[in-house]
Amino acid sequence: MDAVEKANAERQRRWVKDKKVGEGTYAVVYQGREASTGRKVAIKKIKVGQFKDGLDMSAIREVKYLRELKHQNVIELLDVFSSKTNLNLVLEFLDSDLEMIIKDRSLVFLPADIKSWMAMTFRGLEFCHRNYILHRDLKPNNLLIASNGDLKIADFGLARDFADPGHKMTCQVITRWYRPPELLFGSRYYSSAVDIWSVGCIFAELMLRIPYLPGESDMDQLKTIFRALGTPTEEEWPGHTKLPDYVPVGQFPKTPLRDLFTAASADALNLLSKCLIYEPRKRIGAGEALTHPYFFALPYPTFPAKLPKCSTQLAARPLDEVDGNVEINSTGPGVKARNATLKRKLTSPDDIDGEGKRRSIARRLDFSRQTPGS
Amino acid sequence: MYYYKSASLSVVLLPATNTCSEMSTRPGGWLQGKTVRKGGGALSSSHTRSSTPQGVQSTSTTVFGGGVKDASGRTSEFFSMDDQCPVCKSDRYLNPKLRLLVSSCYHKMCESCIDRLFTLGPAPCPICNKILRKLAFTPQTFEDLTVEKEVAIRRRIAKEFNKRREDFSTLRAYNDYLEEVEDITFNLINEIDIPQTEARIAAYKAENAALIELNIQREEAYAQTLREQEEMERRERELRASQLRREEEEEREEKEKERREIIDKLETSDKDAMKLIAKSRANAAKRSSARAASSSSNVVQSNARLLRTRAAIDIPDVPHVPFNDNYDCYEDKYQLRSGGYADFFSEAVRKDREGIMRAGGYKVEEAWDRALRFAVASLDLPPLQDPPDADLNSLTKDSSGDVIMAAG
Repeated sequence: MDAVEKANAERQRRWVKDKKVGEGTYAVVYQGREASTGRKVAIKKIKVGQFKDGLDMSAIREVKYLRELKHQNVIELLDVFSSKTNLNLVLEFLDSDLEMIIKDRSLVFLPADIKSWMAMTFRGLEFCHRNYILHRDLKPNNLLIASNGDLKIADFGLARDFADPGHKMTCQVITRWYRPPELLFGSRYYSSAVDIWSVGCIFAELMLRIPYLPGESDMDQLKTIFRALGTPTEEEWPGHTKLPDYVPVGQFPKTPLRDLFTAASADALNLLSKCLIYEPRKRIGAGEALTHPYFFALPYPTFPAKLPKCSTQLAARPLDEVDGNVEINSTGPGVKARNATLKRKLTSPDDIDGEGKRRSIARRLDFSRQTPGS
Repeated sequence: MYYYKSASLSVVLLPATNTCSEMSTRPGGWLQGKTVRKGGGALSSSHTRSSTPQGVQSTSTTVFGGGVKDASGRTSEFFSMDDQCPVCKSDRYLNPKLRLLVSSCYHKMCESCIDRLFTLGPAPCPICNKILRKLAFTPQTFEDLTVEKEVAIRRRIAKEFNKRREDFSTLRAYNDYLEEVEDITFNLINEIDIPQTEARIAAYKAENAALIELNIQREEAYAQTLREQEEMERRERELRASQLRREEEEEREEKEKERREIIDKLETSDKDAMKLIAKSRANAAKRSSARAASSSSNVVQSNARLLRTRAAIDIPDVPHVPFNDNYDCYEDKYQLRSGGYADFFSEAVRKDREGIMRAGGYKVEEAWDRALRFAVASLDLPPLQDPPDADLNSLTKDSSGDVIMAAG
């Protein structure tokens, strides 16, 4: 046994797997704990041998970026070790996500609660952007909630670093409903503004309690955006007609946000409108958003421990990694957004009981079909 | 004439097409249904109907019914998120206040279209060209407009064909009558032999005018008793509530008294204090359990209550702090040059020939900022000194005419 193996074995001994809580396309998630302290963790075992192309891209991304990021509002990667042919990521254990909270109709949101969640999201995102990392898949079920109420950004399977000149980036990222118009128009050179758009959509969703821009296809997504916010003019967004996939979708008039968000404060709508500016360079930055008057105005943001919590907390599902970061039929993370179905996956507690089981079986069957080929 | 009288009553019918089963189980019942009083708005609508010249609206097919009221006398209006006005194509997504009304020919359009088309008097329907009036539009109750139409027709028929089981000598005759009514209704709904059917209705009306009138009066009397009954029930409920309040009050007083009693006893008596207290406690428990058994209280977990329990956690909210990590700021260690940098790597971005990088939001400044920050933070390199000015000028005044992204 050489020194590397010895070190790995030592690390492996630090963590104990308790029970399996979910299985996805490229990973199995276990609930576990730290052997010395008993601290609860989630251990994500990545199946390396299953794939022809080696290690899944999103696993590499997750390790690469989470290793760098340590912040109160970003999920913590505690350790990485290998066992036999598998790679294991040890992550913080978080028991619910923002989507479950939005969907739980028995909860009432106060304006201060929304403010608190938004502040935590922006803090986490600002930290990523400050370190030149784009998340590229922000949505309510990637914002996990710790037991003390802290919100943490998770799932860095689509993340990448930005601001290296001359490198094309893929535009097939971010779940469709949260995808900004520049990506829908096929822009290959974009910036941190794409994440801000997603946060704007999440902000709107927190106020409406339903997804704000639920497009049924990529074309329909553009149409939905324009119907809600008006078709951009050349002045509002210079040069957008030159983007690779530009197609005229039709002219829609602007409707004031006030018409849909009747109960929101003026500050809130101001911040929302700044997150949803068409011109990406004019869109508000995460740091700038944190100093927006909305956050300073009364009521103060709710203290995290007092935020509404899901009554039906999931024992069997610590992370969204249950369904994997990649769709079953996709070849890489880039395809994910294209294949994303309208129906969200495996998120509500009753899904787990009923449909979820069936789905995981279906997936396993799919696996066995794939393996002979590999 | 009876129109006006019956206008104060509205018969709520089941929208189901198969009302026969309903009829057979309750003799004479399908007319009775639940009768409720119409509000003022309904009165005015029936008023306009009576003042409408018969020729214009061609009421020969249907008397237009309008929205169906629920028990509280309100019209529950149907609307969905997918509503779209077929005339002007505006939809609920763009106009959340969109309200679609239904015409007497059962075509929907939005209020603003109605205003636009019919303000200057009767005009043809934009869909079927039937002459319509502005006031003949009513709110939609049912998602399916055929149901809406059927309810209106049944309501009209029910007003005229209001014979009861008592009016017939045999059950057979009554059933035949119901069959005929159903026949006529079916014809009207499906627009079969309209003139003939109308003639049948008119003949029936002429024949049975007196009986119809009588039955309307009976109907009204029944509604009256129903109202009285409701009123009585309401009063009873109020009485119960006030009684409950009084009981609670008494209970509180009793507790107070008890406490005083214990204190008094402890003061005056020389028995063992513990025993005294235990005895009076036991008494109190017996009484309260007896009370609890008599009155069952239901605890409703309301949203307000949930909110209150949340507020009970005693942690104060603190004012917002933009950043709560110890952020070592490097920004004061370097400054981006105002004219930008003519570096080799960002050349393609700076001279964005296709104009595709600008609209996507790519910022070349971020690349420079990143390079500088990494240099300062990790390698501890001081930033470059200012280069000769000539260099900068040549960049911003690029002769090729390309778009220059980084122009300060």
